[in-house]
Amino acid sequence: MSVRRIFVTAKMTGLELGRRRIAIGLLTALPLAFYGGSVGRGSGAVITGGVAMAFSISGASIFVALTARPVDPRLILAGYHPTELLLGRLLLLEVFGVAVSGLFSVIMVFGSTPNHPWALAAGVGLVALTSVPFGLVVGGLSPHELEGVLVLIGVVGVQLTLFSTQLAAKFLPFWGGQRLLDHSVNTVAVGAAVPADIAYAAVLFAIATYVMRRQAPSVGGARRHFARAGLAGGQGFEPR
Amino acid sequence: MAVQAQALRPPHADPAGPLAALAPAQAPGSALLAMGICKRYSGRRVLDDVSLSVAPGEAVAIIGENGAGKSTLMRICAGLIQPDAGQVSVSGRVGYCPQEPGLFDLLSADEHLAMFAPALGLSRKQAIHEGHLLLSEFAFPFAQRAQCRHLSGGSRQKLNLALALLGGAHVLLLDEPYQGFDHGAYVSFWEHVARWKDGGIGVVVVTHLLADQDLVDRVVELTIATEPLCEAP
Repeated sequence: MSVRRIFVTAKMTGLELGRRRIAIGLLTALPLAFYGGSVGRGSGAVITGGVAMAFSISGASIFVALTARPVDPRLILAGYHPTELLLGRLLLLEVFGVAVSGLFSVIMVFGSTPNHPWALAAGVGLVALTSVPFGLVVGGLSPHELEGVLVLIGVVGVQLTLFSTQLAAKFLPFWGGQRLLDHSVNTVAVGAAVPADIAYAAVLFAIATYVMRRQAPSVGGARRHFARAGLAGGQGFEPR
Repeated sequence: MAVQAQALRPPHADPAGPLAALAPAQAPGSALLAMGICKRYSGRRVLDDVSLSVAPGEAVAIIGENGAGKSTLMRICAGLIQPDAGQVSVSGRVGYCPQEPGLFDLLSADEHLAMFAPALGLSRKQAIHEGHLLLSEFAFPFAQRAQCRHLSGGSRQKLNLALALLGGAHVLLLDEPYQGFDHGAYVSFWEHVARWKDGGIGVVVVTHLLADQDLVDRVVELTIATEPLCEAP
């Protein structure tokens, strides 16, 4: 594992993402529109706006995963480890998520004056935390951007239609953040929102790693085979 | 439709059987050795007991009709996909140039070189310097400093080839590497093949051009089989 390779991946991901200005602008405006559209209808606006922020960050993560897919095999063949590529992207996207969630927190704290502003900020932060690995998983499994975005709309849409107190909501990835957002404006207990969200993020990252490694070239196995054959400095491979 | 096995022959010679194909490069120190490669996609046999060997300093052309599995064989030799059966051994690092340039549309050529640098153990400066030398030999339009999405097909292919060559390689697997090249770049490419051979690099080129077959040491033809040789997995 090389820190330099992780940081170079993060930097290039940042350059690429930064050049998608229109797409990123639209993605960021989308949850803002959700929040703005419901701000006059009471406390639900905070939950709607906060959970809808997953559109921004997961959407960016899907784009990153899909654009990298044709290049990743070559990068891995050249010497990258799949986990280095994934960690580099995760790092950059989480930084992006922190920036977007910070902006949203400020807007919603001043726009809705919640009972517990810290819970609002933490809820938005948890949504951001889970959104990145969720987007990387969806991007890793979707054949094209359209399918990935439709899955994103479906999952976030269902989460938005459920109350955080409903059992079904707990089975969706943004429940922890939703529950904290609910707590910030209503009298709902926090419960296991934080550990649940962290667990969701960890499981999603593990799935993203698995997907990436499954799609990665067989170079690792190749080196092992060549070593078994007693031929140093080269590679060879055989069926799994 | 299935591919049976490759015929390996010197230019303008009659096709030979698969075992004959292995003979020249089975000697110790062969750059690339693939034996008994079988691959199916959705139940369709694409490669059936295909073997290929390339000696250091040897250039081999792979020919065959569309769908014969030329690119699949290259991807298997590069280690990008696993065969259903068979073994591949490569002595040293592989430089692989895919048929479709795998590039980031929103990054420039220099940014690609910088991205590949740490994987190859090069500093950013070294990779850009080496990459510029390679690209300038194929008349890459540096002046544009454009993102890849704004490059012509030929320029994208030049960058694709340069990334395969970056950092040096013992075996080069080039899948129709000069698509979109102008005449000068095409001629330059074959001059480079001769130079790589002199440097002891094994070169495999997938091609459809008959003229190219006079520029290599051997030609491997992938043919369509009627009888399957691989057992269904």
